[in-house]
Amino acid sequence: MAAETQTAAAKVLPPPRTEVGVIGWMHANLFSSRLNSALTVMSSALALVILWYGLRWVFWSADWTVVKTVGGLFLIGSYNTELACPGQNCFWRPQVSLLLVTALLGMIWGILGGGVAKRIAILTAVVAALFAFLPYSLERMGWDVRILLLANLPSTALGWAVARYTPLGQPRWAVAWGVMAFLLTLVLQRGIPNVPGLQPVSVVYWGGLTLNLILAVGGISLSLPIGIALALGRRSNLPVVKLLCVVFIEVFRGVPLITLLFMSQTLVPLAFPEDFPQNSLFRAAVVITLFSSAYMAENIRGGLQALHPGQAEASRALGLPGWQTTVLISLPQAIRNVIPAIVGQFIALFKDTSLVYIIGMVDIVEMGRVFISRPEYLASAREMFVFLAVVFWVFCYGMSYVSRHIERNLGVGER
Amino acid sequence: MTTNGHTVTDEEIIVCRDVHKWFGNFHALRGITTTVKKGEVVVIIGPSGSGKSTFIRCINRLEQHQRGDITVDGIELTNDVRNIDAIRRDVGMVFQSFNLFPHLTVMKNITLAPMKVRHLPAREAEDVAMELLERVGIPEQADKYPAQLSGGQQQRVAIARALAMQPNIMLFDEPTSALDPEMIKEVLEVMRELAASQMTILAVTHELGFAREVADRIVMFDEGIIVEDQAPDDFFNNPRHERVKHFLSQIL
Repeated sequence: MAAETQTAAAKVLPPPRTEVGVIGWMHANLFSSRLNSALTVMSSALALVILWYGLRWVFWSADWTVVKTVGGLFLIGSYNTELACPGQNCFWRPQVSLLLVTALLGMIWGILGGGVAKRIAILTAVVAALFAFLPYSLERMGWDVRILLLANLPSTALGWAVARYTPLGQPRWAVAWGVMAFLLTLVLQRGIPNVPGLQPVSVVYWGGLTLNLILAVGGISLSLPIGIALALGRRSNLPVVKLLCVVFIEVFRGVPLITLLFMSQTLVPLAFPEDFPQNSLFRAAVVITLFSSAYMAENIRGGLQALHPGQAEASRALGLPGWQTTVLISLPQAIRNVIPAIVGQFIALFKDTSLVYIIGMVDIVEMGRVFISRPEYLASAREMFVFLAVVFWVFCYGMSYVSRHIERNLGVGER
Repeated sequence: MTTNGHTVTDEEIIVCRDVHKWFGNFHALRGITTTVKKGEVVVIIGPSGSGKSTFIRCINRLEQHQRGDITVDGIELTNDVRNIDAIRRDVGMVFQSFNLFPHLTVMKNITLAPMKVRHLPAREAEDVAMELLERVGIPEQADKYPAQLSGGQQQRVAIARALAMQPNIMLFDEPTSALDPEMIKEVLEVMRELAASQMTILAVTHELGFAREVADRIVMFDEGIIVEDQAPDDFFNNPRHERVKHFLSQIL
């Protein structure tokens, strides 16, 4: 007899046992079939072997003295050498910049409250403070340096308190403070002629992670707005604007960054008046920013094209003029849709900053290479590059981590 | 003159004369001449591709007509941007696919245009929005995002959003075509209430029951021209054209 169609009210039943809990999850995902079980066992074995040999190398075989020897040079390059800063101690200048940054992070934490902002602010301050306890003799790292490093804790707290208890606790003030901190950093590092204690330091001596970060932060914060402008220009109805944007994007995307960096040293000066103060760092920053903007423009254009045309139509039908439609309706949605691509571009830009070694600047990677080409450290190349890889990974993963949280927070109204 | 229970004045609010529109080589509107009076409810029907949506999109210049002229509330539609913006402030539009802004809450969707275009203070705009949400029956959804609402609720928000600009004319472009049957009713209910409040309405819809009950005139489009323009009773009972009978027989 065929089963009758059931028409009575269905009972609400719990899900089958094999579908819930740890056992259920493992059964469903790891051991659902013979093939699946075999793959699970094999890949776990492989992972254990890799982990075993990896950890054994890290803790027993590897000789990390080279990393210890380079030490602070990783962070600021030859900035504080006698050559760069004759007759005085310039170490405090990058330190003060770091304080400005931790204050900014504290401020962002105060504005956004808990969550990612809090974790990142605290982590940065604690790591910076922990550097003060590195087992270096006081000759290499004086009390002043250690105290300035420890000051990152109160600086974060101060930023947090300002954001929390004063009217400055608004996103636009954090942005203003961020821009100020960046400009102050540039002025501090460069110095001001004839001001005691602020003796100018040529950009040739800027180096280490500080150089990578300055180029990356400048590049990231400028390439996004330039990229947006280029993307809008490429979609413009004005033929000349459109043509200019297309040419710009295609030229900068079509040439390798290395070539652009070489060219920058001879071509960028042509774009500015002769007496315009410039240097190799400035030229490199211009090229890296424009290169990244071209990619950014295409990412954002992709986001704009994915929008339903009804969005702009609805906005226009309400009487909002074209530019407000773009700023209030199209761009926020387009950018939200392409956050992964934008952050990917940020990460690529940060990693690309190490290419400045080809125009003679000593970034963190080049600093490492300088040391492993010395006879006594020739055997330490592996340790050096693993260390550099970890440093880059930490920053890139940080960006990825923040972006994931931004995406999640913006996803409230996801269609 | 009173038809279907609401007052129609003699003032002509939309005047179209010999309106033509091409999409490339396709002749979508082939000479539309018609007028709509203030307070009138006009339902536009017709087979798909007949130009009915194109026509109402020409009235607020989402599409540009290429010959003839359209005058809305005394302003002629020309390329002058100020004229277009003035007309768009005066004409509300509701779309088949709602087109709510997904990144803004329901409240922000409604207050955006009044604040940015009419420069209403935030508090005032929110009061107006709350009033409108009550009018369309969903004040409790103000702080949600569009994606958290049902289709019928989204369309009612879209109507409230258009009304927040205090338009004199409302255009509806198949407002119920994307909705499940049980949600169509709640949207038609809002439109019915709107018609009763003396709003001038042009609605493209396939809801013939609604048309019969609410419309002052039913206009049928076919192949880019108006083939029939009559009061509902005459439209359904003695259509003048074979094509109307044919169309009605297909969808009834």
